[in-house]
Amino acid sequence: MAQVEQFQYDNAIVRKFAYATMVFGAVGILVGLLAALQLVFPALNFATAETTFGRIRPLHTNAAIFAFVGNGIFMGVYYSLQRLLKTNMYSKFLNEFHFWGWQAIILAAAITLPLGLTSSHEYAELEWPIDLAIAAVWVAFGVNMFGTILKRRENHLYVAIWFYIATWVTVTVLHIGNNLEIPVSMWKSYPVFAGVQDALIQWWYGHNAVAFFLTTPYLGLMYYFLPKAANRPVYSYQLSIIHFWALIFIYIWAGPHHLLYTSLPDWAQSLGTVFSIMLIAPSWGGMLNGLLTLRGAWDRVRQDPILKFMVVAVTAYGMATFEGPMLSIKSVNAISHFTDWTVGHVHIGTLGWNGFLTFGVLYWLIPRIFQTQLYSQKLANAHFWIGTLGIMFYSIPLYWAGWTQSLMWKQFTPDGFLQYGNFLETVTQIIPMYALRAVGGTLYVGGYFVMLYNLVKTIKSGTFQAYEAAEAPARVATAGAHKGEHWHRWIERRPVQLLIGSTIAILIGGMVEIFPMVMIGDQVPKIESVKPYTALELQGRDLYIREGCISCHTQMVRPFRSETERYGEYSKSGEFIYDRPFLWGSKRTGPDLHRLGNKYPDSWHYNHMLDPTSMSPGSIMPVYPWLIEDDLDNSLLPAKIAVLRTLGTPYEEGYEEEAIADAEKQAAEVAARLRKDGIEGDNLEQKEIIALIAYLQRLGTDIKPAPQAGN
Amino acid sequence: MFKYILEGAGNINWMAIASLLTFMAVFLVSAVMAFRSKPAFIDKMANMPLDDSIPSFNAENDRHEK
Repeated sequence: MAQVEQFQYDNAIVRKFAYATMVFGAVGILVGLLAALQLVFPALNFATAETTFGRIRPLHTNAAIFAFVGNGIFMGVYYSLQRLLKTNMYSKFLNEFHFWGWQAIILAAAITLPLGLTSSHEYAELEWPIDLAIAAVWVAFGVNMFGTILKRRENHLYVAIWFYIATWVTVTVLHIGNNLEIPVSMWKSYPVFAGVQDALIQWWYGHNAVAFFLTTPYLGLMYYFLPKAANRPVYSYQLSIIHFWALIFIYIWAGPHHLLYTSLPDWAQSLGTVFSIMLIAPSWGGMLNGLLTLRGAWDRVRQDPILKFMVVAVTAYGMATFEGPMLSIKSVNAISHFTDWTVGHVHIGTLGWNGFLTFGVLYWLIPRIFQTQLYSQKLANAHFWIGTLGIMFYSIPLYWAGWTQSLMWKQFTPDGFLQYGNFLETVTQIIPMYALRAVGGTLYVGGYFVMLYNLVKTIKSGTFQAYEAAEAPARVATAGAHKGEHWHRWIERRPVQLLIGSTIAILIGGMVEIFPMVMIGDQVPKIESVKPYTALELQGRDLYIREGCISCHTQMVRPFRSETERYGEYSKSGEFIYDRPFLWGSKRTGPDLHRLGNKYPDSWHYNHMLDPTSMSPGSIMPVYPWLIEDDLDNSLLPAKIAVLRTLGTPYEEGYEEEAIADAEKQAAEVAARLRKDGIEGDNLEQKEIIALIAYLQRLGTDIKPAPQAGN
Repeated sequence: MFKYILEGAGNINWMAIASLLTFMAVFLVSAVMAFRSKPAFIDKMANMPLDDSIPSFNAENDRHEK
């Protein structure tokens, strides 16, 4: 019999992450509510760069994903890992480094995103110095986690820990893969890949950020905290094994479903669709495993708000993972993509699955580490119902809005013309739904503050136990497999082998989809007329990125008659070979812009950016007066040209020396056209708006004949 | 267009089939092994989250509604 050892669980680090979760949850959803209200009341953009929707939206997504859910993951992992392994954490220094490092990254994001410092890759917007900091902190977390696993007193690793391991290794691979970029300056970089390749890698990342940051770690938390809250073991441990391997193997393949009907090759789209549909099996296996854990305890669900939160969380996971595969079917995707349906879908996951599971864990965990009882079950129940109503008021209007708008986009008159030829008609139609969505968001925020009050009162009524005494027999490591022991029991004792197995499982899908695209990059059909951006257009493109125009505008005309009638020729992959980063977008709150070039005179764009309603009455687009007031900064232009040439854009040798003069020459031409149309202004040619107009007028024109003079 | 890409990549139909076969292998092996595990071992693993000594507080009366 092994000697019984005394040790202490470290609750101090758990409390830190719990507090951060509570604070950043409030920040994330409040910023989200602001974004929702901005779509109903554009005045709430406050005519200020830092508070405009294009910059607020990534702030919201980053706060919700990496600050709220991220801290929630770490809170749950640090609590459960110690108890499942019967040991304290490997390193107190790494605990602190991880915690403060992560909060510093969040602070950096909260400063840089409103300043417009963004890579524009969705959910990976942060610029390269912050990417490096994320890598350092993530590695510290990994060392701390594996160090703890290696010093464990429990031979076998519970399934929750496999999910934590898979999360760690996959996020590592994704973060590196999607952030391969060359710095131009401290806060500007260009991605290594361009166009269709960049798109594939971004959505391989983007989809798997959902999979391996919002899903797998939370499944680990579900497998630990749901049995704890229900006080009964998971329904089927066998099912959890199958759930784990099938899920991590399949998830990694599904990214291309974000790019259906785009210029991505069909074979990659088809692979994404097939694996997305297959994904329903392991996802629902996990959901049923969670729900069936409550078999025989449903009477307690009626009374216990913690179980209520967890049941709705797992149900929301089931709904989202049913909807995801359905939306990956091409004929459904043709309707849903670029609409608010996707936004509703993803919020079922974040508000329901991540939000409610986090709330359940907080309500369970805070009283325990503070050695007390929850201050008020009634308030927790009130939070549950307010939050549930909030999710419904959030999602149902957006599903309605998505269907409505998509069908309006596609509606033809009997004569064969678009019935709603003005895109704005399809937006104003759904603004009441946006208002209802904001009501849902307000309810969710209200419920959240009820929880904060309840938890603060709980904390005040208890005594924090920073170090919790525990004891367990020392681990007797077994050198080899027992006779007759099968591989899975063997691998559960070996974290390193489990790590390697998980890595292989997630790499297979990534390699099969990405390698052919990257290796045959030269095979993307070249279009003779497609040329690199001029220096001024490049500056304008970077302003488009800075302002987050991608949040509302796509640059991808899909091959549907309803789109080619509205926008023009469908988009070809060869048109994007110099696009670093790609700017295809994923949501059309405004129209697609890929064929915008030469559609309107320069003065139209000038007036439109100054006040969109002057050109499009009823528009909900923000105003951009600073583009007209601020001078364009060309100081980085030579470095940008040099970096892009290094990456393969065929700028002539020495062009960086001429780039500023070239930009100024083109700016003077644009300014002259504006003056001709009666637009005056001091130093007009030096303003940022000039560069943006140059870029917008270039969009999609490489394969579109220039208009005749006078047209 | 994608035909052009496929030509550039060579015959990659094997990739789709290999992917499906690999998945089936992973799925079948994990399923067979999971269900061949000894019940006692599965019970031990399933009960692992419950196997700690969380202090139990009978503080129902402390709650402010009471």
